[in-house]
Amino acid sequence: MPIHEQSLIRPENIKTHDKLEIDGIDVSGHWSTFIESRVVTDYNEALEDEIAALPGGEYIHRCWQCGSCTNSCTVNAVNPDFNPRYWIYLIRTGMESELLRDKDIIWQCISCNKCTYACPRDVEPEGVMKATAHWLEKKGHTPKSPSIIFDELFAEQVIARGKIEESSIIRQFFKRTGQPLMQDWLVAMARGLLMKLPVGLMRRMGLAVLFRPRTSGWSKARAALEEYVEECEREQRRALGLGDGKPE
Amino acid sequence: MTEPVLVVGGGPAGLAAAQALSGVGRKAVLVEKEDRLGGAPILSGYAKLVPTGEWARDAIGGMVGRVEGEAAIDIRTGCTVKEFAGEPGAFTATLSDGATVEAGAAILCTGFTHFDSVNKPEWGFGTFPDVVTTTQVEQMISSERGVRCPSDGRKPKRVAILLCVGSRDRQIGREWCSKICCTVSANIAMEIREELPDCHVYIYYMDIRTFGLYETTYYWRSQEEFKVKYIKARIAEVTSDGERLIVKGEDTLVKRPITIPFDLVVHAIGMDPNVDNLLLSSIFDIELEPHGNIARQSAYGGMGRTSRPGVYVAGAATGPETIDDSIAQANAAAIAALSAAYSTAGKAA
Ligand SMILES: Cc1cc2nc3c(=O)[nH]c(=O)nc-3n(C[C@H](O)[C@H](O)[C@H](O)COP(=O)(O)OP(=O)(O)OC[C@H]3O[C@@H](n4cnc5c(N)ncnc54)[C@H](O)[C@@H]3O)c2cc1C
Ligand code: SF4
Repeated sequence: MPIHEQSLIRPENIKTHDKLEIDGIDVSGHWSTFIESRVVTDYNEALEDEIAALPGGEYIHRCWQCGSCTNSCTVNAVNPDFNPRYWIYLIRTGMESELLRDKDIIWQCISCNKCTYACPRDVEPEGVMKATAHWLEKKGHTPKSPSIIFDELFAEQVIARGKIEESSIIRQFFKRTGQPLMQDWLVAMARGLLMKLPVGLMRRMGLAVLFRPRTSGWSKARAALEEYVEECEREQRRALGLGDGKPE
Repeated sequence: MTEPVLVVGGGPAGLAAAQALSGVGRKAVLVEKEDRLGGAPILSGYAKLVPTGEWARDAIGGMVGRVEGEAAIDIRTGCTVKEFAGEPGAFTATLSDGATVEAGAAILCTGFTHFDSVNKPEWGFGTFPDVVTTTQVEQMISSERGVRCPSDGRKPKRVAILLCVGSRDRQIGREWCSKICCTVSANIAMEIREELPDCHVYIYYMDIRTFGLYETTYYWRSQEEFKVKYIKARIAEVTSDGERLIVKGEDTLVKRPITIPFDLVVHAIGMDPNVDNLLLSSIFDIELEPHGNIARQSAYGGMGRTSRPGVYVAGAATGPETIDDSIAQANAAAIAALSAAYSTAGKAA
């Protein structure tokens, strides 16, 4: 494990004076390397409410900083900088700039939900991680993560047709994430399927690729779902203070 | 009201209620489930009590002795109430031994049940012999055998006390603070340091609730005089490396994972509602509050009234309580029962 305290020092805060005299004593050069303290000058008091407005973030206000989420966390075990308890603290106190320093690792939550079952207050930290990752995207701090892209594709298809067709999801997922279609594991899986699956099922899968079936009488359900999704989107944009509350 | 008052439960609260009644010349029938009086401090063998430092066997044992010496107190041990019917001033209780008791009022002093640590398996109780509860440490001290590791009888060099085991935990449906365990843990920590000066004692906490005057006499004193160390961390799991126990968690103040060896791990167990409460609620036709304790009707007037007129409650039966507050509540319930009887008698005359 890296030396944790080192991560607390920020390069921009290290000050070295070539020439410095304090009370008549020359402390030039390395002797006068100081680390400026980080001073909190403001809290973004809206931050907790913004996270709470996104799915999964609803119970963030319950947290009392016991550390059960962090100490049960699968990702924290390999990367000590991945610290849900700490981020929840930053969000609840409104230390937005501190939170943003970790924007590139927050999405790494693998949703194992160990924290969900350890948390004595039912904060549902896994949900908070999800909400925080969404918040970062919606606020434009991070690009869409692969898992979000996957979720969106999945939802789009279900809403459009009332069914999903795996191969099309996989193909579109690779396209939107800029990955090649021919991946070793996928080829191996397809070969395995060819060898083991019953013929009838294979035929149905093939037909599904060609004809893209829909659930019959889906259009009403689709309209209702679309309306609901739009409404949620609007709500969230309003809560996050983004634009006119119309979907992107 | 000339009928005696039925007191159910012979712990500190029940003893105090019976004593208070006999003190004003009223008869009491004291029904206790176990075969002896004294409640948790005696039945579970507590050592020196908070806040006086007196041994439980002297302080609570003394109460038992005084109650046993009162002619006006009719003691029925090894006994419970099976049926309870009637009106204030004229109740009839049928006991488990078949006897019936006529009573003018009843005071329930049925106390609490210790949390069973097996319900938090990640903290190793029941798996590793050297993971024990505060009750067991109390017994080690009160038996004068001293604090030892159960596995091989050695003197521990490092002890970890985990607070809030079975309290303040939605995962297991226990949404209350047990009130006394922080202070009891500080007390135990000081006793360990006194007996074994070379032993390091760590207390792992989420919050410290040594309420009121216990701040200095337990929290500060344990740190300043006894060098007990307090770490802000809720432990993830207790395992073993084959020789010693391994405690894992996050030290939240330095934002750093910890994996620390200990000889003895102590669970500061909480106070659950009495497992009999549902039964008591149906026998006495009284309401429970949402956590499962016997509900009090008012916090300010008519102390100790339950939802049924003529039936009162005191002590840990109402929720986590200290001994001295349980005793105070028992006295208040006794006076409430007496004054209710007095005013009905006055109206009738
Ligand atoms: C580890 C530990 C240490 C503690 N140390 C301290 C301390 O140092 N100082 C302090 O102030 N407090 C301490 N407490 C709290 C203390 O135990 C309680 O405040 C006290 O026991 C409450 O007294 P009580 O009479 O209300 O209940 P209890 O002591 O629980 O007594 C209830 C009695 O009722 C009987 N009973 C139960 N159900 C029935 C039934 N259905 N029918 C008939 N009888 C029944 C029981 O057998 C028992 O005798 C400690 C608690 C714990 C867990
Ligand atoms: S008294 Fe302390 S140890 Fe006990 S439940 Fe409350 S906070 Fe936890």
